[in-house]
Amino acid sequence: MANNAAKQNTVRSSRIFGDYLIMIAAPCLVAVWYYGAQFVSVAATGVLTALICDFAAKAILGKTFHLRDFSNIFIGLAIAVMLPAGIPLYVPAAAAAFAVLAVKIPFGGALHAPFVPAAAGFAFISVCFKELIFDYNVASETKLFGAQSLGSMLSKGQSVYISAANVFDIIAGNVAGPMGTGCGILMLACCVYLFVRRKTALLATLGFVAACAVCAIVSPRINASAFTSVVLELSAGSLMFAGVFLLTDYATLPHNGINRVIYGAVCGVICMGMRKMGVFEEPVCFAILLANGFRPVLDSAFKALSSVSFKRKEAAEK
Amino acid sequence: MSNTNISFKDMLVKGALIFNPVLIQLVGLCPVVAASTTLAGSVALSVALFVELTATCVIASALFKKVPRWVRVPLYLIIGLALICPILWYIETKTLINISLGMKIYIPLIAINSVTAVHCEQFAVKNSVRHAFYDAAAVSIGASAVMLIVGATREIFGSGSLAGVKLELPVIFKGMAMPFGCLILLGFMAAGLKAFLNYRYLGEDEAEPDDIQEAEKILDSGVEEVEIFDEFWSEQTEEEQPEPEEKAQPETKEEIRDSANEDIEDFFRSIGIDYYEKGDEQ
Repeated sequence: MANNAAKQNTVRSSRIFGDYLIMIAAPCLVAVWYYGAQFVSVAATGVLTALICDFAAKAILGKTFHLRDFSNIFIGLAIAVMLPAGIPLYVPAAAAAFAVLAVKIPFGGALHAPFVPAAAGFAFISVCFKELIFDYNVASETKLFGAQSLGSMLSKGQSVYISAANVFDIIAGNVAGPMGTGCGILMLACCVYLFVRRKTALLATLGFVAACAVCAIVSPRINASAFTSVVLELSAGSLMFAGVFLLTDYATLPHNGINRVIYGAVCGVICMGMRKMGVFEEPVCFAILLANGFRPVLDSAFKALSSVSFKRKEAAEK
Repeated sequence: MSNTNISFKDMLVKGALIFNPVLIQLVGLCPVVAASTTLAGSVALSVALFVELTATCVIASALFKKVPRWVRVPLYLIIGLALICPILWYIETKTLINISLGMKIYIPLIAINSVTAVHCEQFAVKNSVRHAFYDAAAVSIGASAVMLIVGATREIFGSGSLAGVKLELPVIFKGMAMPFGCLILLGFMAAGLKAFLNYRYLGEDEAEPDDIQEAEKILDSGVEEVEIFDEFWSEQTEEEQPEPEEKAQPETKEEIRDSANEDIEDFFRSIGIDYYEKGDEQ
């Protein structure tokens, strides 16, 4: 019985994280295109650390290690694409180890963790190595604004005039920033894939992006048009990547469609609030972890409300 | 009332290990998380806790047995505060350990902590002075051991030093010096202790009901144990749990409406909100 459950779990995990691996291949290729061996070494470190930590923890706990549990590979890659070029290799290793040992394993696997492991890993290294995580000086000579990332420009209130000459560079991720998350076009392609595979998961992304866009219009950080503010905010940092890859995490999504939209919107509002008032240039992972805490409340609220409406309907019928 | 044959060793195993206040009972977490960022701070905190807890428990056992409960609890806290302030003042002025800067507003929380209230109220006032002292000392030792381990670990990984001595570490994790680092560390320590207790006293990963009863007999050495501790050993397995009473299906319109209102109340209660304002229930 237990073996069957474990087998089913592994199959489900491999299917879900297999989809994510197919999706994340695109940002990884972009990162390799822009940064070459630097990204490969960071990604390899993250993936290997996650695999080793998972193997060691399962060996200690007396559980079977499954290579087909792709969540470790996804965690390693997701952390790697959110990091800047030239980051010391112990940083992705620390993030992956934290994600696996402190978030994934204690809660019984990636399909049961109440927090997104990759987001937790990135948040951990953001706190521990803040200066390294948001330093985009390496390999920034050919970038649109040099070593200045969109996030740092927005936080300083510096606006950019968006024209035909620079808009493609901005949405293609040719600006200083995380290695693989800047390409907005690819994120849209990933959304399409996710729509084909798990339609309802995208509701959270929809709510998230809409909330971020509304916040960018209502409370812009720069003195520019609403369109410019929205484009720059959505293109900056790992916002879109987190919205597509981390927010749609199977274990932490609410069960109901409308709750997913609300969940995404809550996360978006928290993220934009933290961007405006917080100390971190890219706080999206913190926002996701906070939104993860709201998930049980949303689910139980929906359960109570649906039960009430059903019973009232039943009473009306009688 | 209490068994006079009980030894300090038994109390030590029980108070420091099996019912460790920080890792098993999860009481008094605030000062541990806030103040045990260095080894020196942890030592100071341990000394303060030991003196405060033992003195308060002994006083409670000797004097407060006849005092009404509603008076007793504030008295523990007043005694705790009266003891902790001079101790901290002494540590700070007579030693080189500057703890108040690290502790800030948490100093009153050390005095008015739940460990003191729980052990005075649940154990000390129901037992002899000697047993109250044993219990307080055992609990303090258990809490101090945790604080020292946490303080040392956080100082090593969070600041790259131990007892003020710089260590040549290649990487420093600033997060370890923050409260979330401490909570994660405590979580792992609690899991480790629970696994050890299961292995040592129950012999299996999952406690069987018979084993629990057996362990209860072994561990219950005669001292009148407190209700809060009983909960720990009265875990029932699925077989033992009484069948949940089947809820009568609502029939009339009013019953269905009442049942719906109960669901709303349950939800609000689950998120910590009292659904009814005062006077609504009438």
